Order: sequence, then C-alpha cells, then structure tokens
Amino acid sequence: MRPVSLIFEKPLAFLWRDIIEDTSYKLSFFMQFVSIFVSTSMFYFFSRLLGDAGISYLKPYGGNYFSFVLIGIAFYSYLSVSIQSLSETIREGQMLGTLEALLVTQTEIPTIIISSSLYSFIWASFKVAVYLLLGGYVFGVNLGNANLIGATIVLMLTIISFGSLGIISASFVMVLKRGDPVNWIFSSVSGLIGGLYYPVSVLPDWLQKLSYLLPVTYALEGMRMAVLKGYSVSELLPNILALTLFSIIMLPLSILVFKYAVRKAKRDGTLTQY
Amino acid sequence: MSYVIETVNLSKKYPVLKGYRDILFHPFRKKETPALNNVTIQINEGDIFGLLGPNGAGKTTLIKILCTLVLPSAGSAYVKGYDVTRDEKSIRKLIGYVISEERSFYWRLSGRQNLKFFAKLNNILNREADQRIERLLEFLDLAADAGRMFKDYSTGMRQKLAIARGLLTDPAILFMDEPTNGLDPVSAHNLKLLVKEKLVGEKKKTVIFATHNLRDAEELCNHIAIIQNGEVRIEGTLEDIRSKFNESKRYVMKLRNVEGEVLVKIHNKALVKSMMSVSNGSSGFTEIEFEIGHNNGSLQGFVKEIVDMGGELFSVYEIEPTLEDLFSEIVKAK
Repeated sequence: MRPVSLIFEKPLAFLWRDIIEDTSYKLSFFMQFVSIFVSTSMFYFFSRLLGDAGISYLKPYGGNYFSFVLIGIAFYSYLSVSIQSLSETIREGQMLGTLEALLVTQTEIPTIIISSSLYSFIWASFKVAVYLLLGGYVFGVNLGNANLIGATIVLMLTIISFGSLGIISASFVMVLKRGDPVNWIFSSVSGLIGGLYYPVSVLPDWLQKLSYLLPVTYALEGMRMAVLKGYSVSELLPNILALTLFSIIMLPLSILVFKYAVRKAKRDGTLTQY
Repeated sequence: MSYVIETVNLSKKYPVLKGYRDILFHPFRKKETPALNNVTIQINEGDIFGLLGPNGAGKTTLIKILCTLVLPSAGSAYVKGYDVTRDEKSIRKLIGYVISEERSFYWRLSGRQNLKFFAKLNNILNREADQRIERLLEFLDLAADAGRMFKDYSTGMRQKLAIARGLLTDPAILFMDEPTNGLDPVSAHNLKLLVKEKLVGEKKKTVIFATHNLRDAEELCNHIAIIQNGEVRIEGTLEDIRSKFNESKRYVMKLRNVEGEVLVKIHNKALVKSMMSVSNGSSGFTEIEFEIGHNNGSLQGFVKEIVDMGGELFSVYEIEPTLEDLFSEIVKAK
C-alpha cells in the first residue's frame, strides 16, 4: 500500500525542484520583485493623475482608483496562475523534453500537472502579499476593514473555477500544442470586460451583461468588496453562488475533456511532441 | 510458456499533419503513416533483446507502446501479462525506461537532485531513495560528480545518469533506446559491459535494447529482431538468423602455387565471390572466398574441382557472416 506521506511528498518534490530551478536564475528572481514595485508605483501615479475623475463609478469600492486597481492586479495573479500554469507545465515539459520522463514514472498525469503548478500558486501568493504590503504601508491604502474569511472563500472558489478552465486550456495544449483558445479568451476578454483596470459599470449595457457571464467579473468584484469594504459572507453571497455554480459545472467537464485529450494524444503519438 | 513481453500483430499508424490545402479541400479525409505493421514478438525473462533497425524503422514506437506512452492502432501487447492499453499503472511499476534524450533531465539540478526528484515520483520514500541513489551512483561510477549541475555533465555522464534513473525502481524490465548514441568507443564498451555483466548477469533483468548499431547488437544481444519499415523482417538468436536467412555458407580456400591460366579458370567459377593473392615469405598463396548453397554443389565437389585444375590445397575454413552482412542482405531483399 502506498504510504500516506507520498501524497504530500510528490507535490513537495515538484515545489523543491521549481525553487532550485527558479532561484538558480538569480537576476531573474530579483527582477520579479522589482517589477512588482514598478507596476504598483505606476498605478499609484496614474491614480493621482485621475484624482476624483470617475469617482461615481468607483464609489461602490470605496472611491479610490489606486485601491481598486491594486486589488485587481494583485488578485489577477491568482487568476492567471490558475488558468495558465497547468497548460504552461505541459508546454514546458513538451518543449524541454522532460514530459516523457515524467509520464513514465508511477505518478498519474493529474498529480504531475497540479503539483507542477504549486510553485506558481505560492509565488502568486507571495506577490499578492507584497502588493498588499506595498499598497498598505507605502501607498497608504486602507486594508483595515478587510473580511479575511469572505476573501478566502472567494479566493478558493476562484481557484477552483479558474483551475477548471486551466485544465481545459491544458487539454488544448496537449492536443494542439499551440493556439489554445481558452487562454486567449481569458487574457484578452477578461482584461477588456472583466473589471480588471476599471469597474464593469463604465462599460455599455450590452458589454456589462456579457461581463456577468464571465467568472472573472464575480471573482474580482467579490474580492474587492471583501478586502476594501469588508463585506460579510452573506453580502458576498451573489458572487460566491455564481463562482460555486461555475465550479460545479466546469470542474467535472474539465476532467472529462482532459481525459479525452490525454487519450487522443496517446493515440496520435503526440503526447510529448511540441 | 509465458513471456515477459509479448506482442501480437501489433500495428501503429500516426496521423499526418495536414497542410492548409488538405484542411480546406478535404477536412474529413484521414491521412496516416504506418509506423508498425503486424509486429509479433516474444521476449523471455533474462533476455537482452535487440531491436535492430535503421532510423525510422519503428523501434522507438514499439518501445513507447510497451512503456504505455503511445496507444497501438491494432493488435495487442502485454508486459508480464498486463495489457498496455488497460493496465498502465501495473506496467509502469515493472519497467524502467532509459531515455537517451538528454533534455529529459532538469539541467539546473545536480545529478543527485534529478535522481531524488524522479525517485519521489516513483513512490520511493526518502531514506530508501537516498540509499538507492547512492548505490546507483557508485555502481555507475558517478558518485564523485553527483553534486554537479546536470548541464555541466559530459554526454557519457548524462547517459549514465539516464541509466541510473531507469534503474531507480529496480525494475524487472529495462528499455534502452539507442543508449550508446553519442558515446565514445570506451564509454560505449563500458556501457555494454555494464548491461551484460551487471544488469543481466548479476541482477537478472530483462533488457530491451534498441539500436541501429550492428556491432552493439552483435556483442550484446542474445535475441534480435530486425525491424524495417515497421515490420519485423527476421527474429531469433544470432545463430537462428544466420541459419534462417543465410541458407548458403561461405568458405575461404587457401591455395599454394597457383598460376596464370588456372587462376583465370577459378575466377570464372560462379561460386567464387572474391580472389586475393597473399604472399607469405617465399611462398605465394591465393585466397578464394566462395559461397555454396543448397542447389549449387557441395564443398567436397568444389574443392576436388579446384585441385583437379592444378591448385595445391593448403586450407579450407567456413566463415560466419557478421550481423552486418545479414542486415544488409535483409534490407536489400526488401
């Protein structure tokens, strides 16, 4: 029988591998910190330029553009990791040639892929913490009202629902190698109508309706309300329910799609090709 | 008798990537290229089974099917009785796959760190993993360099590390795909020695050794399948292959003091493949290589004929065809 400790040891082995690899590129590792500071500063000065313009749109979120966009870009790290890291893992394994060696081990493909994205999630958490610390201590954003339980629930549901999209995205990469439409839709459409840089309310009516079909809108709005306005779990319920519904539909669907993709890639003999 | 590995009429066709023209005008037409065609082989426990064939013959496809990385299009394949299409988990517990592709390692991890990572993925617990890794590093003479990053390894060291990774689980069956590629002659010789004496001799493993190098197969394998264009052209021990394929026998006859007209007569005999004059001190010899099959006479008859012509017989001996001879005949025959 397989020892229970192996359940944790495998993800930890991937984490250990990624830490060694990432920290071995010393300059790149350091530059990632610098870029957080640069982007935060940029949005701070941008918000000073805007001043009170657009305050009516920002009122539901506390009225300050910098706080609004800070939570957006910090939280967006989780969204992009959830959706991109799984497909990136497969693509990287195909390109580097390590995927074949991984697939012939006694570890199942889902474990390989999910464990490979663990480092990205931890790194995203670290980046979010740096964003929030910079925002709170350097740029004076008030985070004192944050409802951490509500924020955690929204975060977990977001990871599950976006992780499901990430699994579908990984399935496309496994079969098509490049040209994954899920990633493309997420990167382009969610930036445009998901409320990342500006509130959804500035969009024309028909685009606003469209934006509420996307989970990113509920995720970003829920997180901003929890962190900036301290909304309770019951006040966050519309966002929580929408994300739950999305997770319930997408998670089993994504697993089915992924199983099909692996079977097809094995049939076509393209599992490890790029 | 149950075999360690058995394939029955195993076939594999790969879809061909369509061009824009095909996508536009024939979107539903299937385009496929055959990689394996009705391959039937049996491998016994403790065999060093050589899959021999030119590049693109289908050797790697066969190995990948047996390692559960590719699904067959038709036929069946079993590893210790487990079906490759249904029992992937059970098969992966039994096999080790020595991937010669050096990109299959993490270049910025040390040799030891790479092995440790793959040990965890193969369900080997910490202490046991450490012990096994150190044993393998010693066994393969890599211990002194185990702390260096993989990127700094030589080709020979990378190949050894690939073998160490393949042996991590102490598998009963080891697949080696072109393991001597890129190795210098000394390293290649040491590798073959390691496979023959240590892995099969001492540890009693079954090794499937894919190669296009005839000398490797001849030196190492007790059983060989020659694959060409996805088909097994001939299979068996080297002796089997010699007797199955090469029905005629080759001989070398050494004659003393043969001159002028007699030499021309001998040269015109149909059985004679080559003639060469050899001088040995004061004596002059002529070496004649000839081939006798079922329908073109007997050795005694031919020798008598030559002696009657005036040749003074010094010696006659049979020469065994090398695998290279057989291989080129098999490939030509196709």
